[in-house]
Amino acid sequence: MKKKLLILLSIALLILLAACGGGGNANNSDGNTSSNQTSGGSSGGGSGGGDAPKNVTLRIAWWGGEPRHDYTLKVIDMYQQQNPHVTIEPEYASWDDYWTRLAPQAAANQLPDIIQMDLSYITQYGEKGQLADLTPFLGKEIDVTNVSESAISGGRIGDKLYGFNAGVNALQVHFDPAMLQKAGIDINSIPENWTWSDFESLSMKAADAGIYFSTGLKADVFFNYYLRTQGKRLYSPDGTQLGYDDDQLFVDFFGMLHRLVKAGAIPTPDITAQIKGLEDDLLVKNQAASVWQWTNQFIGLQQVANRPLEMHPLPGPNQSTGLFLKPSMFWSIAENSQNKEEAAKFISFFINDVEANKLIRGDRGVPVSSVVKEALIPELTEQQAQVFEFIAWAEKNSSPGDGPDPIGAGEVIAALESVTEALFFDQITPEEAAKQFRSEANSILSRNK
Amino acid sequence: MTKATLMKAIRRNVAGYAFISPFIIGFLVFTAFPIVASFFYSFTSFDMLTAPKFVGLDNFVTMFTNDPKYWKSVKVTLYYVVAVVPLRLTFALFIAMLLARASRMIGVYRTMFYLPSIIGGSVAVAIMWRNLFGDDGVINILLTLLGLDAVRWFGNPTAALWMLIMLAVWQFGSSMLIFLAGLKNIPPTYYEAAAVDGANPVQKFFRITIPMLSPVILFNTIMQTISAFITFIPAFIITKGTGQPLDGTLLYSLYLFRRAFQFFQMGYGSAMAWILLIVIAILTLILFKTSRFWVHYETKEGN
Repeated sequence: MKKKLLILLSIALLILLAACGGGGNANNSDGNTSSNQTSGGSSGGGSGGGDAPKNVTLRIAWWGGEPRHDYTLKVIDMYQQQNPHVTIEPEYASWDDYWTRLAPQAAANQLPDIIQMDLSYITQYGEKGQLADLTPFLGKEIDVTNVSESAISGGRIGDKLYGFNAGVNALQVHFDPAMLQKAGIDINSIPENWTWSDFESLSMKAADAGIYFSTGLKADVFFNYYLRTQGKRLYSPDGTQLGYDDDQLFVDFFGMLHRLVKAGAIPTPDITAQIKGLEDDLLVKNQAASVWQWTNQFIGLQQVANRPLEMHPLPGPNQSTGLFLKPSMFWSIAENSQNKEEAAKFISFFINDVEANKLIRGDRGVPVSSVVKEALIPELTEQQAQVFEFIAWAEKNSSPGDGPDPIGAGEVIAALESVTEALFFDQITPEEAAKQFRSEANSILSRNK
Repeated sequence: MTKATLMKAIRRNVAGYAFISPFIIGFLVFTAFPIVASFFYSFTSFDMLTAPKFVGLDNFVTMFTNDPKYWKSVKVTLYYVVAVVPLRLTFALFIAMLLARASRMIGVYRTMFYLPSIIGGSVAVAIMWRNLFGDDGVINILLTLLGLDAVRWFGNPTAALWMLIMLAVWQFGSSMLIFLAGLKNIPPTYYEAAAVDGANPVQKFFRITIPMLSPVILFNTIMQTISAFITFIPAFIITKGTGQPLDGTLLYSLYLFRRAFQFFQMGYGSAMAWILLIVIAILTLILFKTSRFWVHYETKEGN
């Protein structure tokens, strides 16, 4: 009996020690870099330096769904084969888990070397000194010969480049023609330059037929688009207050959505809250006629719905002032990284390597490298090609984006979602919602002064 | 004490310390240190990305005077605790009394009733709960079968909170086991004597079972109150971390989590945690103070 207990105890101790040791290991890994490995002649795309490269371990983190995890791991394998001195440790999670894990890692100075970054967080992490300025790597480790300056500038805050654009995105409406047909709407009768009043009357028509016209408009994203068509923004340029003064704009936009929710043309928040994943999407389940989202999400939706879908621009007037191209996400390098050059080389590979991008296939947005884009087009399915064509069209029919969101954007978005929820549940009027949102948002943003 | 005896004492205890070292180390690293750190952070503005800034009592002042959501979360949590604790204890006692009777299948029943508590705090159960209470879920199908109206569990703040309360009540297993042990300790002679005097089952329950069980009831009440106050996982999973609808399920610890980890306000979150600790401590103290009016200890009366 005593012996058994002792064994059990030793095991427990071992596990504990191993757990403690694990953390330390990561720190020490660049201590044993002295053992140079003679890398075979297979030096990867553009990364072949003069002297034999040192062994390095890079940690890389991203968010996404299962398909993205799968192909990203394949891209990493490909890179490791071409660069035997590099070992890459992946850390991936869903969107929510990703951000709740990243913040404590930052607090502990343990951020991964390469971080997938989003527009709504890049200011927070960048301005607080957690991300490295990528400017010194441009043209050296990161090959930018085929990337336009406008694509790169999406990750600039002030004169620092905190993230490299991983792909281009734009907002769209994704229609299911068959569902529209059921509501008595011919998709060809919806003009490209339709307006919000067209949207409202079509929505009512669908609601009369017992179909949701849309699965819902994400409040901050589409309100900002609406504000842009009116020459305003959600956030002021300095990020210390809201970017619009007239609450009537809020009342017009969310008042319209409120009417549509009440009419049954847009699902109530509790219906949306029960959706667990793409398979559960109301359009996929033949209950809604359109999804309003980003271009790169079209491919996934199309795959799951498995029937022809069509893309359409957002309603106007002033579509081209409203529409903007946005980096779908960024690749950033942590300031605490010991191997920034190697991390930059990997980012360059991800952006510029044609074979790697044949695996990525525009899931992270339309590639920013013109060479990659051209090489991919013959490889794409008809549906995927549509996304590339739309972005090409949008390049000529859009206005510059707003740049990264200010610090506290996440909290402002939560406040907006909270007041619109109360509005859609008839707890408050659009006017009250407008007022409440303004006071909450401004008190959050005023901290940036 | 001579040196020799001291050495002897150490040698005698070293094995003991070695055996409890996994716990001691774990406690110091994962419990004691975070507690001390959070006390410090509660007086700072700390976004986790830059060094904490000392702000004195600002966090506490904001919390009490300028944060309507804070008070909303306090209200939701009190509602939850007041509903969960008595319901769960009553249910646990009821099942324990059923199981206290001798029966051949007793082991199986005990295991079955305890099962929800083992898997209770887990993510899987919370996800299952989401599905059960969905608009087309089993619960609504049953309600319709009974001729009642289906409830929009995710659309009504009170209904959503009751969804959480029912999940908590369903996980009555640990209290039940403790009650069961308590029931087994009541000498059968008391019941026999009462039966001879012609007491009915209700009288037996209130005159014998409850008084004899009161120390166990006190223990269970305190443990369950504490665990109800710090409930987090079910609310987090079922509402996808939002506290929807209309903040109806915004339990204290969920709001704390949102502030600390989603809005980068670790200082504010720490301050909230300390207030929660103080409130729980005070309530526990009150429960202990009231105990002398209703808890009977056999030994005391024997004196």
